[in-house]
Amino acid sequence: MSKHDEARRAFLVGAAVGAGAAAGAALIPDALAQTPQAQPAAATPPAHAHGTTASQGYGAWFNVDESATIQAFTERLMPGAPGKPGATDAGVLNYIDLALAGAYADQRDFYRRGIAQLEAYCQATYKEPFAKLSAARQDEVITALEQGKTTGFTWPSAQAFFNTLRTHTIEGMFADPVYGGNKDFAGWLLVGFPGAHPAFTPADMASKEAFAGGVLIGLQTQAKRS
Amino acid sequence: MATEKTDVVIVGVGAAGGILAAELGKAGMKVIGLERGPRRRTEDFAAQDELRYFQRQDLRPDPKRQPVTWRPNTGARATAIPTQSYGNQAGGGTVHYGAVSWRFHEDDFRVRSQTIERYGASAIPEDSSVIDWPVSYAELEPYYERAEYEIGVSGKAGNLQGKRIDGGNVFEAPRKRDYPLPALHVDQVGANFEAATRKLGYHPFSTPRAIISQPYNGRPACSYCGFCQGFGCHVGAKSSILVTKLVDADKTGNFKLITGAMCYRVNSDNSGRVTGVSYYGPDGSADNAIEAEIVIVAPFIYDAVRLLLLSKTDRFTTGLANSSGHLGRHLMSHLGTRGFAAFDDRHINVYMGPSAQKHTIDDFNADNFDHKSLGFIRGAQISAGPAGLEGGPIASAMNMPPPPGVPRWGAGYRDFFAKYYTRHLAMTGQTENLPYADQTIDLDPNIRDAWGLPAPRMTYDWRRPNEVKRVEFVNNKLLEIGRAMGATHVWTAPTGPGAPGSHHQGGVRMGGNPRESVVNKYAQSWDIPNLFVIGSANFPTSAGFNPTLTIQALAYMTADAIVNRYRKSPGPLV
Repeated sequence: MSKHDEARRAFLVGAAVGAGAAAGAALIPDALAQTPQAQPAAATPPAHAHGTTASQGYGAWFNVDESATIQAFTERLMPGAPGKPGATDAGVLNYIDLALAGAYADQRDFYRRGIAQLEAYCQATYKEPFAKLSAARQDEVITALEQGKTTGFTWPSAQAFFNTLRTHTIEGMFADPVYGGNKDFAGWLLVGFPGAHPAFTPADMASKEAFAGGVLIGLQTQAKRS
Repeated sequence: MATEKTDVVIVGVGAAGGILAAELGKAGMKVIGLERGPRRRTEDFAAQDELRYFQRQDLRPDPKRQPVTWRPNTGARATAIPTQSYGNQAGGGTVHYGAVSWRFHEDDFRVRSQTIERYGASAIPEDSSVIDWPVSYAELEPYYERAEYEIGVSGKAGNLQGKRIDGGNVFEAPRKRDYPLPALHVDQVGANFEAATRKLGYHPFSTPRAIISQPYNGRPACSYCGFCQGFGCHVGAKSSILVTKLVDADKTGNFKLITGAMCYRVNSDNSGRVTGVSYYGPDGSADNAIEAEIVIVAPFIYDAVRLLLLSKTDRFTTGLANSSGHLGRHLMSHLGTRGFAAFDDRHINVYMGPSAQKHTIDDFNADNFDHKSLGFIRGAQISAGPAGLEGGPIASAMNMPPPPGVPRWGAGYRDFFAKYYTRHLAMTGQTENLPYADQTIDLDPNIRDAWGLPAPRMTYDWRRPNEVKRVEFVNNKLLEIGRAMGATHVWTAPTGPGAPGSHHQGGVRMGGNPRESVVNKYAQSWDIPNLFVIGSANFPTSAGFNPTLTIQALAYMTADAIVNRYRKSPGPLV
């Protein structure tokens, strides 16, 4: 089991018992939070209908096909490169998966239908699922969504689906790791955010340089200290 | 059915209600406050969690359970607005606000007269319902001072008894005393804005904020963590009503707060008096009532209007206390034009320091500049801060559209945001919005909230000629300032589709007579003397300044009027 999966389980357990996870906690099934049996689905995904490599970091809500689509889509929105962590590196899929299992449960149908419409469009246009398209083709599809130029979208509209995925990618990149994304502070390191600091000094604020005094601390560590 | 009796019941203990609770309690009146949200503590705000507080708006109403709808005109269908910017707990919006605390200008209280005197009556747009306030700056000045000192506001005077002082706001109305606390430290957002606007000949200063720069009244000074707008303060340095006046109210021994209480009706009898309120209790009970000698309605403007509309009677068929017909009309909001500057040669580190509207110029606000050839009246407070008003990366990404030529996603966006998040600042032109009688709040016929009450519905579109011209003018100023900073990229955000911006105001207009307003200058109903409806709903015009300190000053004035005059002789105060 990867380090990521351990962190994920730690989150799920924490979410079920901790006050910090708020609305999401009650909605995560106990089985997921407490039993290791629920995890292998993520670690060893079943054979996939489209034959694509299944993604890491799902299982609370997405199925294997949906997770492949969202993984590929969010990675195009925020692509990784050497020294520049992207959506996959940051665990954006894991963030969205957990959010749909909890705080964003009311957006499940939005995602389910949005993904179905996206896949129908890709099948009609390219005869392949989104995740199997080349990066350039995927960008063409996303551009068409962003500009509302796709066919076959009713609800959610193509633009609404694009905008929501963009918003949730940003959240998964930059929200505190306690929510399942921003893995190992990948998003904060990408942009130079030092995390929540309880105080800054006048000298910090007078500096025109990048802030160098930061030690990245997440909410869970912060809570243990207090 | 639970019924309690008290001297005063206050619906909503926020910026206005909290002050009234403390002041009336001090005078020996028994006060019950109803608050639909919880009462939180400073310790609850230890987690500086941008997702929870900024993005998911944990301190603000949930738009799904407590929807407010908007439509641009009466022919359009209203839909729920996705973000609500007012508070949802004891202390109201002051818990999560950016704490910017202004005294309005003298001419902000007399927009109609000022405009006619300087430019002639034709300068006022025909369809606008601009009137003068029934209260002057001079009359309110002592109450502004009291609010600044009792609550704790940091700033530097720019006009002390008529003497102009550089480094403060030289356009401010004369004040008798300086601020109780020195201005907050200036960070790189402020330093860059200061240098550029001075170069242009303008008059920058550190924005006065209800955030204490030194220990004050037993509270510690601001630690410059940067999590203000959208957040509760983790050390209690933000002078929210929660840590100031509610503490005072508790000390009186005469104040009782009921949280989780959703008021749905102001009760009245046939004698022309209100008798109390009914509310849904925290336990789900529907038939709770409070009988009171004085009813003070002090929630945010949507709920103030809605409560009066829901409380209609045989005598007041269009809403309680609405003989004027002005209830729910003259809705205004601040139109937030936004500009951005991004730098290759320096870091700004926007996440440091009290976050919202950090540094200001007042040169293009109110009637501080000559509008003769401009084709519009009134102006904007121009300020600088992080793109999202708080400086975390989620707020910045969500609120900073990339400059022309940079995509909104993909490697190009990643590289833009990775480079410029710590090297950007944003400017906001918080522009005044004239009142128009057909910009309204009423009851949505189709959408209800979690209690089954009809949602407040706004009908509003700011895109009228006077407002559009002002926004264009201010946008050009933002670009000018950004260029004067020597920024690598300077650009503005596209303007929106007519929806109201921030700081919604109006709906329960105060005025000089019962024909053109709902309440008098003491926020007292013209129709029902033991009913007070107070808050930014009362504002006849909006000013380009944040409303809270003026709400607070009006609340102090009303408290004085109730304690010193009404209590001795209940009846009309005007």
